Amino acid sequence: MSPGAPGPLSRRLTAWRLAVRFLGRDLAAGRLGILAAALVVAVAAVTAVGWLGDRVEAATASRAAELIAADRLVRTDEPAPEAWLAAARERGLAAVRTMTFPTVVFVDGRSQLASVKAVEAGYPLRGELRVAEARDAGDRAAAGRPPPGEVWVGARLLDLLDAELGATLEVGRSSYPARRLVTAEPDRGGGFGNMAPRLLMAWEDVAGSALVGAGSRVDYALLLAGPEAALQDFADWVRRADGPEAEVLTGEEAQPAIGEIVGQAERFLGLAALITVVVAAAAVLLTARHYAAAQLDRVAVMRVLGASQGRVLAVQALVLGLVALAAGAAGTALGFALHLAMVAALADVLPADLPAAGPLPALYGIGLGTLATAGFALPTLARLRHVPPMRVLRRTAGAGVLRTATPYAVAAAVIAALMAWRAGDPALAAVVLGATGGTLAALAGAAYAAVRLAGWLRARTGSRLLWLTGPSRRPAATVVQVVAVGVGLMALLLLSTVRQDLLDAWQAGIPADAPDTFLIDVAPADVAALRAFIAEELDLQPTFYPTVRGRLEAVDGARVQPEDFEAARTRRLVNRDLNLTWTRALPEGNTVVAGAWWGDDPGAEWSVAAGYAERLGIEVGDGLTLAIDGEPVTGTVTSLRQVAWDSFKPNFFVIAAPGLIDAYPSYLTSLRLGDAAGRILPALNERFPGVTPVDVGAILETARRIVAQGARVVELMAALTLAAGVVVLLAALRTAAAERRFEASLLRALGASRRRLEALAVAELAASGALAGLLAGLAAASAGYLAAGQLFDLAYAFPWPVVALGVAVGAVTVAGAGWLGARRDWRASPMALLRGGEG
Amino acid sequence: MLNDEAAPTAADAAQPALAARGLGMRFRGPDGEVALFDGLDLTIRSGESVAILGASGSGKSTLLGLLAGLEQPSRGRVWADGQELTALDEDGRAAARAGRIGFVFQAFHLLTGLSALENVRLALELAAQGGDSEAAAHALERVGLGHRLHHPPERLSGGEQQRVAIARALVTGPRLLMADEPTGNLDDTTGAQVAGLLFELNRAERTTLVVATHDPYVAERCETVYRFRDGVLSR
Repeated sequence: MSPGAPGPLSRRLTAWRLAVRFLGRDLAAGRLGILAAALVVAVAAVTAVGWLGDRVEAATASRAAELIAADRLVRTDEPAPEAWLAAARERGLAAVRTMTFPTVVFVDGRSQLASVKAVEAGYPLRGELRVAEARDAGDRAAAGRPPPGEVWVGARLLDLLDAELGATLEVGRSSYPARRLVTAEPDRGGGFGNMAPRLLMAWEDVAGSALVGAGSRVDYALLLAGPEAALQDFADWVRRADGPEAEVLTGEEAQPAIGEIVGQAERFLGLAALITVVVAAAAVLLTARHYAAAQLDRVAVMRVLGASQGRVLAVQALVLGLVALAAGAAGTALGFALHLAMVAALADVLPADLPAAGPLPALYGIGLGTLATAGFALPTLARLRHVPPMRVLRRTAGAGVLRTATPYAVAAAVIAALMAWRAGDPALAAVVLGATGGTLAALAGAAYAAVRLAGWLRARTGSRLLWLTGPSRRPAATVVQVVAVGVGLMALLLLSTVRQDLLDAWQAGIPADAPDTFLIDVAPADVAALRAFIAEELDLQPTFYPTVRGRLEAVDGARVQPEDFEAARTRRLVNRDLNLTWTRALPEGNTVVAGAWWGDDPGAEWSVAAGYAERLGIEVGDGLTLAIDGEPVTGTVTSLRQVAWDSFKPNFFVIAAPGLIDAYPSYLTSLRLGDAAGRILPALNERFPGVTPVDVGAILETARRIVAQGARVVELMAALTLAAGVVVLLAALRTAAAERRFEASLLRALGASRRRLEALAVAELAASGALAGLLAGLAAASAGYLAAGQLFDLAYAFPWPVVALGVAVGAVTVAGAGWLGARRDWRASPMALLRGGEG
Repeated sequence: MLNDEAAPTAADAAQPALAARGLGMRFRGPDGEVALFDGLDLTIRSGESVAILGASGSGKSTLLGLLAGLEQPSRGRVWADGQELTALDEDGRAAARAGRIGFVFQAFHLLTGLSALENVRLALELAAQGGDSEAAAHALERVGLGHRLHHPPERLSGGEQQRVAIARALVTGPRLLMADEPTGNLDDTTGAQVAGLLFELNRAERTTLVVATHDPYVAERCETVYRFRDGVLSR
């Protein structure tokens, strides 16, 4: 180094100073705003999902104990004997019993199915039971459980009963005042049975209410908490002890599905967020290229003044680094706000006491901002180091340095890597990448065809030259903006309108006379009386099915375990008790698709629902062993049935031939009460207190509500994708801004009025938006149509209104955003043409 | 209409093609307001060919733009064919230009993505004379480009591009043709051909021609030559 030459430190300082100065100037000139906006949207999408996932995961996985309100859960089919409680306490364990069962609650003749949980004093052993004194009051941890003589309820139960806190609820044969609102209980899992609103009461009150009788569907549990060794010791003891069949479970064993569902949902949302990243990447690539092109002269001058290639690269990297940090921080803040909106949207299905948000997603967001900048923008700007100093003398020198495919290849590699990481397995990543790429390519192909058609029409029509000229003269920019906006719109239409349409079509397809109520837990002794009651009151003769609970133990002698199956749904199926029935005749709505229905004198035979058989790999001829009342029952599968699950009639995965199961059943039937519900249900409750009516409509409504809440979160993600699409639109408009300003000047000079140009611009934007909306609408409608026909077998006409909605929303969005973003370009003065060549 | 005190008088010929009175243009610069010129008077007869000769940055293009109503002057008034442009709003001036004032620029300014024929048709469409392909093709034939109708501009030579621009300027049958350095981007031979074409059309159609140029060969073919220097216009 020659004396006086700048040392490495001063060189770095100069690079910093230059970078800060360039950044300030470029931001003021609006050159980096769109790039930053694209990064903000991408980071927001990823961090919002990150925070949501983090908190839900922490609420479920790490608090498995709280999910069962204990360290161990002993499941039994009748109350745990007092001796067990004593044995547990002897070992230094805390022990309380709970029972959960559905029942109908009445207030002033209005009825509602509720899920009752009766608990002993001491509940919960782990986690918090939270209650509120009034609807609008804040909640707090309850000091104990409801004392005998009163009940605590979920707010939704009061809503459905149109009652207020303090109202007296008729529960079985007794009446209790509802004193407090339950806002959170630790061991409220998901599942069908738990969809009914909660009623919490004291264990001691159940006996006096005649709520539980023979054949009632009750889940009993003994909750235990204490040292691990004592728990282990009790578990060993209870297996040998006298009393009911006991199943001792840890939190994770009791709720195996929850962690998995959360994991899957997180993975799905994570991948959805990456679609936003893909769209944002297009905006970053576009703006980086445009920004780099504007830097050519500046870099040439730097090179003439002696800047090395390394210095040029360092300055560009610093400028981008500063943008990435700022956009990462802003995106993280936006992501945090969005995740709060998602948590609010999911209020009913998430635990009320989610753990606080941790800092990790913020780091992840800023990291993603940096990675996206490095992957999507830096490769283009790094090319600037090749700008030759000769450019200051010859304008064409270095014009081609940006002409390279490398940035696109790097961007594709970064996206693929992000997807592989997010998907957690390469096969899924490949599928998602393929599907995303395929959708983008299909949209691009269709957009390109439409643009070519516009060009052809332009050539054919004499007088409409101006109207179709923009999109067809800039095919690449038009295709990019149509695809970017189209992807977001498609996701949004599919998740909102089409989903709602499908649900409506499904509901409309339910026959008017379909049953709306199930009567379950009918004791055998009550069947004849109930049949007579129904015949007299409703003039109906419904079929009563005997049911027992059983668990699949073995197929062809091989033990069936949840771990043997990949799919979460199959694991859940294996892990739970099945409702079994026996019948001589094939139930209505069922069709035998393999094997044959049993004859008049059946042997030890099973008939299995085809879908269930397929999931578990069961075929005709297999030997099936089910544990019923703790006893193994073995028979041969002689038929597989196609079952119409949406018939609202009792359906069973497994049906036994008469004589195979020797157990004490409860009966169930389904019927349509319609308007008679208000009259029949109180009478039914009066005469048959043990019978539980289940309102199918209410359950359907609850399921619909949960689906709608989940969908709202996904809709938020789709809205972000659309926002990213709008950023791409602005980037594309920005890239062509100089060209558009020139055209506006020229057309004005040739005599076009400003109003006419503005109308033309809005029409051009609206046309490309309508094209995006048309393609998005067609894609979403086709997806819905195919799903309805192929997957759900619904009568669903092609939803043209969705296409029309897509066209309208696309046109308005693009015309609005494009006009706001680029209106100045269309107002360029015609003098610019002369000033450019000012002589 | 021309009864204002400062308006051109009858002595300026029956109806001047262009007239300016007290024309001034000021710009706000970093050191305050700068006058490019002030108090210019100018009258151009119908059918006359006029050159405005000046060095780079002298303001001759700005003057051309003000005369064509592309911009409002800081002060003064402009009439084209008897209609006061300075009394009109932007859209009014655009309407006054459409079909009546043709432009030829130094950088040609053709729209890429449109063929030569479509570029010419565009002017017809803006002048609300329809997008008549035959008229456009005829204009291109007149400038010797009948064989290049469907070529995109980027595949034409500089001279050919300027001839397309001339066809575009002429196709609407304008009374006034404004040319800003029409030969500035062309070599001498092509420049001479293009200039020849402009003057031939000026004679044949009796179109008033105003050329801003620093090319003395173009200037000397004009009937009237103004020199523009330090904001002063002199003959």
